[in-house]
Amino acid sequence: MDRRDFLIGAGAIVPALAAPRLAHAVDAFPEKDITFIIPYSAGGGFDNYVRAIAPAMEKYLPHKVNVIPTNVAAGGGTRGTNQLYRAKPDGFTIAIFNIPGMFVLQERGGAEYDLAKVTWLGSIGRDHYGIGVGASSPLKSVADLKALSATRPVKFTTTGPEATAYAATLIATDLLGIKSQLIGGYKGSNDYVVAAIRGDGDAVITALPLLRRMQAGGELRILADFEPHSTVPGAADAASLGQPELAEIVLERLIGAPPGLPPDIAAVLSDALAKAVADPATVAWGKASDSELAWAPPERAARILAEQAAFFQKWKKYLAPG
Amino acid sequence: MLDLWLSGFLGLMQVRELAFLGIGMAIGVVFGAIPGLGGATALALLMPLTYGLEPFTALALSGGVMGAIPMGGSITAILLNAPGAAPNAATCLDGYPLAQQGKAGLAIGAAASANSLGGIIGTISVLAVLPVAKQLVLLFGPPEFFLMTIFALVTVASASRRQLLRGLITGGLGLMISFIGYSDVIGGERFTFGTDYLWDGINIVPALIGLFAVAEMINLSAKGGTVSRAVGTVVVTRMWSGVLETFKHLGTVLRGSLIGTLIGAIPGESGTVAAFLSYSLTVQASKDPGSFGKGNIEGVIAPEAAINAKDGSALIPTIAFGIPSGAEMAVFLGILILHGMQPGPLMLMNNQREIYGLVWALTASCLLASSVGLLFVRPLALITLIDADILAPLVLCVAFVGSFSVNGEIENVIVTAVFGILGYLMIRFDYPRLTVVIALVLGNTTERSFRQSMAMSDGDWSIFVHRGTSLVIIASIALTLALPLLRVLVRRARSPA
Repeated sequence: MDRRDFLIGAGAIVPALAAPRLAHAVDAFPEKDITFIIPYSAGGGFDNYVRAIAPAMEKYLPHKVNVIPTNVAAGGGTRGTNQLYRAKPDGFTIAIFNIPGMFVLQERGGAEYDLAKVTWLGSIGRDHYGIGVGASSPLKSVADLKALSATRPVKFTTTGPEATAYAATLIATDLLGIKSQLIGGYKGSNDYVVAAIRGDGDAVITALPLLRRMQAGGELRILADFEPHSTVPGAADAASLGQPELAEIVLERLIGAPPGLPPDIAAVLSDALAKAVADPATVAWGKASDSELAWAPPERAARILAEQAAFFQKWKKYLAPG
Repeated sequence: MLDLWLSGFLGLMQVRELAFLGIGMAIGVVFGAIPGLGGATALALLMPLTYGLEPFTALALSGGVMGAIPMGGSITAILLNAPGAAPNAATCLDGYPLAQQGKAGLAIGAAASANSLGGIIGTISVLAVLPVAKQLVLLFGPPEFFLMTIFALVTVASASRRQLLRGLITGGLGLMISFIGYSDVIGGERFTFGTDYLWDGINIVPALIGLFAVAEMINLSAKGGTVSRAVGTVVVTRMWSGVLETFKHLGTVLRGSLIGTLIGAIPGESGTVAAFLSYSLTVQASKDPGSFGKGNIEGVIAPEAAINAKDGSALIPTIAFGIPSGAEMAVFLGILILHGMQPGPLMLMNNQREIYGLVWALTASCLLASSVGLLFVRPLALITLIDADILAPLVLCVAFVGSFSVNGEIENVIVTAVFGILGYLMIRFDYPRLTVVIALVLGNTTERSFRQSMAMSDGDWSIFVHRGTSLVIIASIALTLALPLLRVLVRRARSPA
């Protein structure tokens, strides 16, 4: 046997020897606790989703381990996502992703991760956006916003330039032909919606569930709902506004693991997540808290990312470093 | 209205709710006493455990924790100069000098009673203003935030007027440090030197542990001996004198409680601001401002009353609009959502029984924790008699572990060490730490609210005098600046020619 034959032989034998060990590894998975990274502070929207799903996920993993929500905030989510990306691809570290937020940060530069290489486990839901004004605002419709825009830029309250809402506001107002000025720096979505109600700005563009809650409390009026067909009585939608692209401005909640996670382990995690989203306790939580929960499998999650990447590539001018 | 108060109270007076309230209180005292842990950590650890509880029971448990945290924090602040949580740093300023004089019992007694009274006044204020909670939150926009931060900075600077230049130097240093990290306004990071850790700025809790606890232990080791310099004169049973002192200074309690209630109701403002503002205004109002920082009992009463009064009113922005006033309230917000209560205008209408129950739970826990504090004054005060050679390694160990446990990051330990050295140098060369703390806490808010105000008004400065709330704050700033001058004039007028 020459050296070449030996190497070919060894190449055939090594996977054969490794296969039962890998199978054993998958059978044993998970043998220790799983860290579920939330790249934002405790108490926020993404944090709530993970904390609602984690206990249910523990029920559906093949072995009894804890799923530990861990907040790694800073840099608009970059730090936690970097940490996930650098983690060992062994299934013991997973994270929730704000898409397109994390994509926006990647495009702006400074992030260490590449979303195209992340192992996607699925999606747990999406929110469409909409436009709201304070309940006592004289602005009654999108037409009023356009009329105001003819005299001066319309002021929108929002968060920092790294966040989805910031880019969403710029893109939506561009599509609607509204000249805008952003008052940024608010700490979270509740904060900048209340700022609009208070009159810091003329209007706000944010995720619909929050706008619906504030409208139900009598504090805010929804002028537009960016869904293809509005679910908010009296609000204009993407179709009636003549801008179907508005429906592409969404907030997706994807779950991912570090690049190179073995497919068998990814399947175990994905299966547990799917069952956790459908668990009666999680569903009850979603209804009570008006949180949109809908499971989409890994391949759909990867497609969502590709669609969002394509959409935001078109609007790259609004993602330029601050 | 009264039936809602009663309904919340009766809901809490059930065996299970009271049991969970008691458990929460015990956890709160322990987590409050250990530097670095605090309310946010306690609630985050308890959050998954509340999953199987009834919402009202979960609120009793959370209220128990939140109401007891300040008392736990004040004990270590007084005995070891180690603030359990950031707001307790203000208690260190006069509480620790009292411990050094052998009056730890007096200080803890005063802290416990000021805590209780502050909690009760805070509860009454919150119950009174809940019906107009939304309007109250909406009174404060970026111009008012900016003016409030200026008011706090001016007040604290005035309080250190004997060392004005040194106060300005440390205040400037605090402001510079507060600008480290990612800025939401400019959309980029500053002074982070390529480190991920610094993106979130300097974490205030590890910084304060260093500035107070570590600095003091270095100082104590350098000097040798015990915390209490007058070992022979330690009278641990002075706690009832401390309780009495609180009742002698009801004006200070009332002022602190009102400041705490007001600051708590402002979205985004923290207990640290309330405690330091209350302390500084008490120094301002005192006939003997020179005695503060050297063991004036009012310097303990003022921040303690504010911290506990603030707890109740901090629920207002959290519940009315889902805007937490700090890390602890942010985690509590998560607990509310986990139990199907969505903070916002609707919660004020739909979950009134739970809200009032929570307010009662906070008050009950605060009273219980104060009693526990008084119960253990004697053994706790003996800590001040332990020799530095034994005490310093133990406290440093707890301080560094506590700092690490804030969010499990080793960089926190480095921050604590750096601030420890800085704090020691400030003690050694007699530079005030009051100004550096308040600047560190408020720097970011000052910059953000100023930029937002300018964006709102297209650069027109008159935005700061447009609204009634702004005018009231400006008048308060003017009064704070004029008060020392007025006092000198009055003294001159009274003194015989």
